[in-house]
Amino acid sequence: MTFMNMVKSLSVAALLVMTPHAAMAQETVAADVQIEAPTNDNQANDNSAAADASTDADTSGAVGSYVPMKPTEGKGMPVDGGIDFQDQYSEVGQQAYAMHNYILMPIIVVISLFVLGLLLWVMARYRAKANPEASKTTHNTFIEVIWTLVPVLILIGIAIPSISLLAKQYEPAPEDALTIKVTGYQWYWGYTYPDNGGFEVISNMLPEEEAKARGEPAQLAVDNRMVVPAGVPIKVIVTAADVIHSFAVPSLWYKMDAIPGRLNEKVMQIDEPGVYYGQCSELCGARHGFMPIAVEALPMDQYNAWVQSQGGTIKGEGEETPEAVEGDVADTETPAVESEIVNTEDVAAGTKTAPTPAN
Amino acid sequence: MTTIAATPGEVHADAEEHHDHVPPFFQRWFMSTNHKDIGTLYLIFAVVAGIIGGAISGLMRMELAEPGIQYLQGWASMMQGSAATEDQGLHLWNVLITAHGLIMVFFMVMPAMIGGFGNWFVPIMIGAPDMAFPRMNNISFWLLVPAFILLLGSTFVPGGTGLGAGTGWTVYAPLSTSGSQGPAVDMAILSLHLAGASSILGAINFITTIFNMRAPGMTINKMPLFVWSVLVTAFLLLLALPVLAAAITMLLTDRNFQTAFFDAAGGGDPVLYQHLFWFFGHPEVYIMILPGFGMVSHIIATFSKKPVFGYLGMAYAMVAIGVVGFIVWAHHMFTVGLSVNLKMYFTAATMVIAVPTGIKIFSWIATMWGGSLSFKTPMVWAIGFIFMFTVGGVTGVVLANGGIDDAMHDTYYVVAHFHYVLSLGAVFSMFAGFYYWFPKMSGRMYNELLGQLHFWIFFIGVNVLFFPMHFLGVQGMPRRYADYPEQFAYWNEIASYGYAIMGIGMLVFFANIGYSLFAGRRAEGNYWGEGATTLEWTLSSPPPFHQFETLPQIK
Amino acid sequence: MTEAAGTSQIQSRNTRVGLIAAAIGLAMLALGYAAVPLYEIFCRVTGYGGTTQVADAAQAETVQVASSTMSVRFDSNVSSALPWDFKPETVTDKVSIGARDMAIYIAKNRSDQPITGTATFNVTPVSAGKYFNKVQCFCFTEQTLKPGQTARMPVLYYVDPAILEDPDTQGIKEITLSYTFYPVDPDKKGS
Repeated sequence: MTFMNMVKSLSVAALLVMTPHAAMAQETVAADVQIEAPTNDNQANDNSAAADASTDADTSGAVGSYVPMKPTEGKGMPVDGGIDFQDQYSEVGQQAYAMHNYILMPIIVVISLFVLGLLLWVMARYRAKANPEASKTTHNTFIEVIWTLVPVLILIGIAIPSISLLAKQYEPAPEDALTIKVTGYQWYWGYTYPDNGGFEVISNMLPEEEAKARGEPAQLAVDNRMVVPAGVPIKVIVTAADVIHSFAVPSLWYKMDAIPGRLNEKVMQIDEPGVYYGQCSELCGARHGFMPIAVEALPMDQYNAWVQSQGGTIKGEGEETPEAVEGDVADTETPAVESEIVNTEDVAAGTKTAPTPAN
Repeated sequence: MTTIAATPGEVHADAEEHHDHVPPFFQRWFMSTNHKDIGTLYLIFAVVAGIIGGAISGLMRMELAEPGIQYLQGWASMMQGSAATEDQGLHLWNVLITAHGLIMVFFMVMPAMIGGFGNWFVPIMIGAPDMAFPRMNNISFWLLVPAFILLLGSTFVPGGTGLGAGTGWTVYAPLSTSGSQGPAVDMAILSLHLAGASSILGAINFITTIFNMRAPGMTINKMPLFVWSVLVTAFLLLLALPVLAAAITMLLTDRNFQTAFFDAAGGGDPVLYQHLFWFFGHPEVYIMILPGFGMVSHIIATFSKKPVFGYLGMAYAMVAIGVVGFIVWAHHMFTVGLSVNLKMYFTAATMVIAVPTGIKIFSWIATMWGGSLSFKTPMVWAIGFIFMFTVGGVTGVVLANGGIDDAMHDTYYVVAHFHYVLSLGAVFSMFAGFYYWFPKMSGRMYNELLGQLHFWIFFIGVNVLFFPMHFLGVQGMPRRYADYPEQFAYWNEIASYGYAIMGIGMLVFFANIGYSLFAGRRAEGNYWGEGATTLEWTLSSPPPFHQFETLPQIK
Repeated sequence: MTEAAGTSQIQSRNTRVGLIAAAIGLAMLALGYAAVPLYEIFCRVTGYGGTTQVADAAQAETVQVASSTMSVRFDSNVSSALPWDFKPETVTDKVSIGARDMAIYIAKNRSDQPITGTATFNVTPVSAGKYFNKVQCFCFTEQTLKPGQTARMPVLYYVDPAILEDPDTQGIKEITLSYTFYPVDPDKKGS
């Protein structure tokens, strides 16, 4: 971390603390600079907000052992000419995938082939040449009962696993689940970490050349990813700031609409570290196709390091009493302002020691 | 199915005794009260709208043929007459998908099925001289014209980021309210109001006609299945469209008169709009397919030289589809944050629809079973319909599973599904009906070779076009995207080739119409022979201007 | 029926059926509008979409306090059209199920003019809405803040112990209460 960078982030931090959030976000888009915007700058507790902001910018600038993970080809992203689902990296996804590929798929293929076979056979057997005299049969109660009952049984056979799959997908989050809040904006995503001090990461799509340069798939790569811990249940709460968006990650079997004025929640649990891409899945205006989602799952310790590099706090520390949280202004206020470039430079400089957040 | 006592000869004699008094051109076509003329107007309208809607999808497939944005900005510049920004180009994409959806649903399929074939053949099939309210019938049609002009006009006025309404055919709030400034969305909403009013008036007319104007002896359980299908459709229209009208009126007042029905800021709920929309929207998909069911039943029976198998089961299956269609709407909203119980309910309820649909598929096959099949053009379209609709239907069962839909929702899998039931289902049935009845309506036989050629080219084209979309969908490609990651390039390119093949098929179709109208062989009254048993085959081709002045007696 | 008698008779029958059909259409139109209040009532009664319940103090007194606890998370959003800061004093809180508890949200008007705001709200998981009772809430009324003014906005709530009996909500360990503050547009009328 050079001195210049520090000064830069300090000044930007001070600026950001005083700017309304919306204006900031727009600036982010316009300037195409990666800025993690601090929405939760708690100015309500106005006791020495400015002073806190400056000290925080200091710490956040100094911490940083995070390098964006290189995505694995074919993992968490579509594959060229693929005809199947993306490989699933969550338990829910694997179950649903199995349900589709081993129950639904065979059934619908068999039904379609059965109908096709019947049609072809009837066409061959009863063509006018082969059967000049048409029968006049118009009823056969037995066969009509059969073709009503058999589909009913098949559907019951589908419905039972389907409903238990739904129940499984809706199991509420365990008590200590980390909560991450996703906000859809026109046309980018914001990820807020309320359990880690409340900082918000603003995530914009990378331009094609930039994505290629970083070895990431174009139109899926973003500047700042939604970083999450792997292997633990995460409670994702989803909302939107303007119009309806939908937060979707195909390789995690995850899709939840982001609706302004209300919150939705769904558990996300990712089996292993990796980068998992998704795209906005509800028409939200002109750049609907250009607000991708990139979820980066890290082992818990690396996740914690990332949180600290963003100036956040580690969940569970300093949360013993409500007073502690309340007094924790320094953390909730952290305006972590830095770009990816700053981060990589941090790594290069070898700044790895993460100072314990002030409690 | 019905047996007709009146011999063809008798009815013919009746028709020819009366001198047909055909009004002069302007009166005949602009102030028409004749159901056949109005039906013809509807069909011409649907063809025009179909060409426009189809051309729009051509633009879409052109843009999607390879990754990146190739044409949108240029097209947007052409439309607004000045250099367009990138975002204006992208907005044009949303305008295209919106226009394609609305045109195909409200201005192509519905006018063709209900307005066109319904108007032409429902009165004839029940032995009525005309519709119950002939003048209202005319109003129904002429409401569609300004509706269509409003919709087309909306693409040239500001609608937010660029010109035109870019909200998707679902017009979800708040994208359609606070998210789209400018008059384009207002015009699109007014267009839907007019189209909706037209359809509601039409529905009232059909219900009255079918209940009151049946010839003596034509009891409700003897009605041809096409009449049944239009009756069920008319009820769906009457029950569903007013709800849409209410919902889009609320959108309009939210936009212009400071109400907050769907605006969270004022205490409204955007999800309520989706509930209202899909309460209409799901029956709407049956509105688009049920008349097709009716037509296919007749065609299969005619070319099997056999009465329809399980007539009552077929009729009540349609009623069941119509009724159940009203209680499954939220399967279009599986990802809005429904509670798990609701998702389970809507999953189960949706699957129920597969049962009456299955009954219909199997009854059609059973109708062919034991028959003496001839594979004339209408028949190959009808058989194609049965298979393609089955394929579209089974993917519907997949999508019905709330737990599976989390991956499929709003992806190309959904696009593939509804194009299989509509573009390969409803459209196939319309072509089947068109070839079946075209000589009856025009008095000229179509060209059989061109008809078969049209079928095969179109069949291959739409399958190449839409089948790969299943793959794109499961791979996760979201719908309504102007551009996509290059991993999706392969199947998108194939799909665009499919469009080109389909387009060639359509050229054959238009060539066939042109040929038939000018050089087609004159068609006799019943050109399909012994398999064709409904009342329209007792009349000349084309039928007299006024038919059944003496009502036929049905045994 | 004979031809001549039939014509006028059929016309009046047509008018009757036509009018009945039109009445059905109008009834559906009315139902479309009625859906707005009905939906609101439905949400209130069933807690659909995470709609919270309203209880008065007397009701709250009678609730049995259960031995188990529930974590409650507080979430806040502000419309970009409203220059306010708005956030909970504490992010999460642990409460005994059935016991009344107070949560404080802090709002500050960052602008130099008085502004009135109003908050929408829901809870997640949505199935918990039925059991989340508010005795007092700033969200029941519009709030006006003077320029630069900071206000502490209380919510008095309790979680209905019935949540422990309902199989749909048994597994819920944490309820998130979310508010979104919007500016009050003086012209805008709520539905």
